[in-house]
Amino acid sequence: MNGAEAIVKTLIHHGVDTVFGYPGGTIMPLYDALFDAPIEHLLCRHEQGAGFAAIGYSRSSQRMGVCIATSGPGATNLVTALADAMMDSVPIVAITGQVSTASIGTDAFQEIDILGLSMACTKHSFLVTEPEALCQTLHQAFTLARSGRPGPVLVDIPKDIQQGLTHWHPPLDLITNIFQPEKTDSENLQQALGLIKASSRPVAYIGGGAGMANAIEELRQFLEVTGVPSVCTLKGLGAVNPEDPSYLGMLGMHGTRAANIAVQECDLLLVVGARFDDRVTGKLDTFAPDAKVIHIDIDPAEINKRRVADVCLHQPMQWLLAGLSRPLHIKEWISYCRQLKTEYQWQYNKPGENIYAPLLLNQLSQRLPPKAVISCDVGQHQMWVAQHMTFHHTRNHLTSGGLGTMGFGLPAAIGAAMARPDDTVVLVSGDGSFMMNVQELNTIRRRQLSVKIVLLDNQRLGMVRQWQELFYEGRYSETDLSDNPDFITLASAFGIGGRTITQRDEVIPALDEMLSMEGSWLLHVRIDAMENVWPLVPPDTANHEMLEKNP
Amino acid sequence: MSFQLHMQCHKQPDVVERILRVIRHRGFTLDEMNMTPSNCGQRIELLMIVSSTRPAHLLMTQVQKLHDVVTLKCIDSKVDSTAISC
Repeated sequence: MNGAEAIVKTLIHHGVDTVFGYPGGTIMPLYDALFDAPIEHLLCRHEQGAGFAAIGYSRSSQRMGVCIATSGPGATNLVTALADAMMDSVPIVAITGQVSTASIGTDAFQEIDILGLSMACTKHSFLVTEPEALCQTLHQAFTLARSGRPGPVLVDIPKDIQQGLTHWHPPLDLITNIFQPEKTDSENLQQALGLIKASSRPVAYIGGGAGMANAIEELRQFLEVTGVPSVCTLKGLGAVNPEDPSYLGMLGMHGTRAANIAVQECDLLLVVGARFDDRVTGKLDTFAPDAKVIHIDIDPAEINKRRVADVCLHQPMQWLLAGLSRPLHIKEWISYCRQLKTEYQWQYNKPGENIYAPLLLNQLSQRLPPKAVISCDVGQHQMWVAQHMTFHHTRNHLTSGGLGTMGFGLPAAIGAAMARPDDTVVLVSGDGSFMMNVQELNTIRRRQLSVKIVLLDNQRLGMVRQWQELFYEGRYSETDLSDNPDFITLASAFGIGGRTITQRDEVIPALDEMLSMEGSWLLHVRIDAMENVWPLVPPDTANHEMLEKNP
Repeated sequence: MSFQLHMQCHKQPDVVERILRVIRHRGFTLDEMNMTPSNCGQRIELLMIVSSTRPAHLLMTQVQKLHDVVTLKCIDSKVDSTAISC
């Protein structure tokens, strides 16, 4: 077999049945092998779209996402998606074509040093230079992407390697430096139990790592047995049972007041798969000032990176949480946190007839089945989704957390629709983000996918405009998007129907109409350009000093 | 504060570039470097002196994650040894 056929066989060996990509000169041998392979290839209309689709596929299903691109511009177009996957610890394998080995380094047509470019945005990247190394390299890529803290791995394959003869080999155990957590009853575990027992005001601060470790059940059991109040990061949303009365919502810059107050006042933070991100902590030296810290994370590099831990735990998270699940006597604290939750619950009774996005999203959430996947873009709408929609599992919330990539939502929703064809997939986007990968509407048409699109259109680059209002004296530099296209006409050009709404009383019928439609649908929602996301912790400010309005 | 790092790596064309990138990106400056082959040319030994206002463990834990780094030791960093062992 040739190299391209060996690639296909390796993909099949790893259970890959769906890939996302875009062909080009140096990847043509692989596309030729894919032509009659039992792998579905979804042609996206931009390599960045293919990368985000692979991320959406992976995050919504916990299966490996695979994307394919040609050399040069094809490979560079993947870079943003790789960086996104790196920041959010998403296992994907990217395969790029490369100019033939003899031409590497000669500035050949469509040659780029993607190995060099990818160093900062992948767990690892490989350039295959020998046909017989091809299969093992791909096996290593799959192992590395999934192992330890997951992430993207790129394999760059010159055209002559794809064309040359090779043999298929099963995986050899070539990776030696993988961190393998062990179930050891260490001194640290006893110290953690001691800290938990001694605490009168504990809070569990849950990040995306809980879902990635498949520890959702154990986490919920831990919270139920101990009664410890909990808060989630953006990526942790869905980890905690939304019905848990001691769950206080998202913490951080746009978190709930209850979550932020509880964290600021706690005496113990149990950090579960989270990393003290700056959007979570606000001014770091004022974050949870009285708290001792127990930090559970698979990545040793996250321990003591931004906040020193009193106890750090690297054992398997499921096992740890089960071991830490002991009843506590913290009734007073639980009662106080529940009181905070009641006192600061969201209010949706904003006066006026204009559409209020938080209310709309809450109404949408109530109409969706628990297994629905919500993909969103980046900006104000992203924070409203996090605040006002309910998630029953981390797999059901696709958001670009670490990198904050506008244009993520639509292709990620496509990936989710491919991974979970029986579940409702909803994209909530903003007018700025939507235009960044709008070409992927044709990918929806190509595969006749069902993606319900709620486009919150304030004709502004809303989050930047909000910051200009609050922190740049209202100097609205380049945030006016009032020259947006007619989104309904645009969608119809891709064979997608839709409706525009402008008044609050239109919302419920329009949501019901969208959800009852067969196939994809665009609900274009005109909202007030001056609407802001509240609460907000200003930059370099303690989390308890949240703003509720423009001072 | 400066630290001496001693590491053994698989001999891959890109390994030094990766290590240098991590050193720079994580806020450290490379002051000295010596590289010698080992294991019959299968591996390389790197001795580096780096400096930073940041504690050494922030660099160590990142370098340790690199796929081709086999062993890594930090010398002259008493302050950070506790953090690394945590």
